[in-house]
Amino acid sequence: MIINGETIAFAVFAIMAIVGGVGVAALRNLFHAALSLLVALFGVAGLFVLLAAPFLAMVQILVYMGAIAILIIFVIMLTQRVAGMREQYNRQWILSGLVALVVFGVLLMVISQLGTPENAMWNPSAVAATLPDDAGVAALGADLVDANRYVLPFEVAGLLMTVALIGAIAVARED
Amino acid sequence: MEPAPLNISAYVVLSAILFAMGALGVLIRRNAILVFMSVELMLNAANLALIAFARFYNQMDGQILVFFVMTVAAAEVAVGLALIVVIFRTRRSINIDELSRLKD
Amino acid sequence: MFAPVPEGGASEQLFLGGMVRHDTLAQIFRSMILLAAAITCLISADVPRVGRRGDYYAIIIAATLGMCLMSAASDLIMVLIALETTSISLYLLVGFLRGDAKSAEAGVKYFLFGAFSSAVLLYGLSLLYGFAGQTNIYGLSGALAAAGLEPGHVLLVLVMVLVGFGFKVSAVPFHFWTPDVYEGAPTPITAFISVGSKAASFALLLRFFLAVFPTYEEYWVVVIAVLATFTMTLGNLLALVQRNIKRMLAYSSIAQAGYALIGVAAVAADNSLGSGAVVFYMFMYTLTNLAAFTIVILVERVTGGDQIADLAGLHQRAPRLALAMFLALLSLGGIPPLAGFAGKLFLFSAAVDAGLVWLAMVGVINALVSLYYYLVVAKVMYVDQPAHADKAIAVSRPYVYSLVVTVVGMVLLGTIFIGPWLNWSTSAASGLF
Repeated sequence: MIINGETIAFAVFAIMAIVGGVGVAALRNLFHAALSLLVALFGVAGLFVLLAAPFLAMVQILVYMGAIAILIIFVIMLTQRVAGMREQYNRQWILSGLVALVVFGVLLMVISQLGTPENAMWNPSAVAATLPDDAGVAALGADLVDANRYVLPFEVAGLLMTVALIGAIAVARED
Repeated sequence: MEPAPLNISAYVVLSAILFAMGALGVLIRRNAILVFMSVELMLNAANLALIAFARFYNQMDGQILVFFVMTVAAAEVAVGLALIVVIFRTRRSINIDELSRLKD
Repeated sequence: MFAPVPEGGASEQLFLGGMVRHDTLAQIFRSMILLAAAITCLISADVPRVGRRGDYYAIIIAATLGMCLMSAASDLIMVLIALETTSISLYLLVGFLRGDAKSAEAGVKYFLFGAFSSAVLLYGLSLLYGFAGQTNIYGLSGALAAAGLEPGHVLLVLVMVLVGFGFKVSAVPFHFWTPDVYEGAPTPITAFISVGSKAASFALLLRFFLAVFPTYEEYWVVVIAVLATFTMTLGNLLALVQRNIKRMLAYSSIAQAGYALIGVAAVAADNSLGSGAVVFYMFMYTLTNLAAFTIVILVERVTGGDQIADLAGLHQRAPRLALAMFLALLSLGGIPPLAGFAGKLFLFSAAVDAGLVWLAMVGVINALVSLYYYLVVAKVMYVDQPAHADKAIAVSRPYVYSLVVTVVGMVLLGTIFIGPWLNWSTSAASGLF
């Protein structure tokens, strides 16, 4: 592996994502777990940049970190007394750990096989060096409203957001 | 742009790690908010894999899918947290193994 | 919606950039879903705390749109959006009874299980995209074949996708949410989830598996047959011990999903008969379950309870309601000449045709077991003495319409409409390829 800027950036963001992920899964303090979710989300956003998806990295930071994670922290504050924020694990935590390990093992087995020389699906030389000319935010935006591309899911997603908002208010409003 | 120096599978392996950690969180946590946060971690794992594949195939499709996943996640969090707040108001607890009223 | 289906190959029936496909399967399931939504609205009319609220019906419409798109979705992106539009609207509707702890708890449970299973499904879809490099369902199988993958890789994707769909159809072992959600949700929504969401999910399941994994049939037939066995057996055994009518119908609906899965497993050997049987079965199940839930709502309004014992002496209080419930129970149990009998007959014969004789046997045994708990309810209605015989059960007009449509449909579907309907269903299946 060549050590260059990109490799180092990958390592940094990957470690952020993993450390944050461990925090989400294991930290006993709810608030700390929420903060480590923010770290993990930021790590993933960084990886998006490395993968030539800067727009989605922005959306990740705005929507996931700016809205979703903050909303989660709000609800933690609303629902937890500060003293009672410690979380007990499930009684079957050993079994759960084993299940997660098996899931990871199976995924790793499948993925690692794909990278082998005989089955050279995702090896570095195969990655196209340049992106197509039309790649970028403008292309993504045009695709979303193109009747021969993604206009239907785009409209339905808009409706879904509206319904989610109306519904969330209808359900949570106190009268 | 220079040729990508990293194997795409490094990203995909990382996404598998995140997915497994999210699954672990869902299984061992009792607090509804923590379970939901773990689910968000799993969604992020899937997003990371999708973007890595999109980069590999040099396509927009994977990125579009991620865009929609984020939209859906935003709607989901609004709805889910509204329900969690409602349940907290009536029960004063959001531990999922204490949601036993329905059992009897 | 009833526009003629264009002739020609898969690509000519794809619309809006390949997001949806216009074919007979989508048409039939859409008509089923719209019927279910209309009847859900009718039977919501007199339900306290939901019947007079506009936002409630708005969310039902969004859920219905999601279900209709699920039955036609032909792109991974559309699958995701349609599935989530349905699910998120239903999470809201389940928790809609303000100030009711049971409803809110059911909503949270449904939400957490649903979010988890769709995360697993999404990871499966992302691997699928990674293997194939495209998102259109009808292009995936060719791309998968060209990628030269080992069966293990595709099998992993298949299992992850099955977790997502299994949750939606409440197949064992992804059924844990079902009884609690069915009990806690407003009863019209229970009815809607049990028929609309299930029908849409079966449409998606059929389309997805037939289009994406046709070359891996030998694997998924076994997986689905095992799933069907567990789903039927566990559903029926647990239904035997229930005292709450909504929980009983929940376990019964798990068992019914198991029967329909027999048809999905049988699709492999004889495509048109197997999926035709699933389509027929889902239609009969839609009509029958809606009829049963209409009566549950009516009785719940008068007695205030949803125990099976609350149906005691229904025959003396409202003989026509008792008769309608009796017919619905017989149809669910599979007694001729009602639609349930024909539905089960087609499913089991499709299984035998496909060489899955053991699966058909398991189905028959399960159908016999299920008769017991359906008939116990009938006995309670006809033999037991009512607690409040003097209180009349008022049936307002929307409920009359709902009952007439469902009961008449159920009887006609089992008698004179068997032939034409099965032909339509089977042609839907053959249009899938």
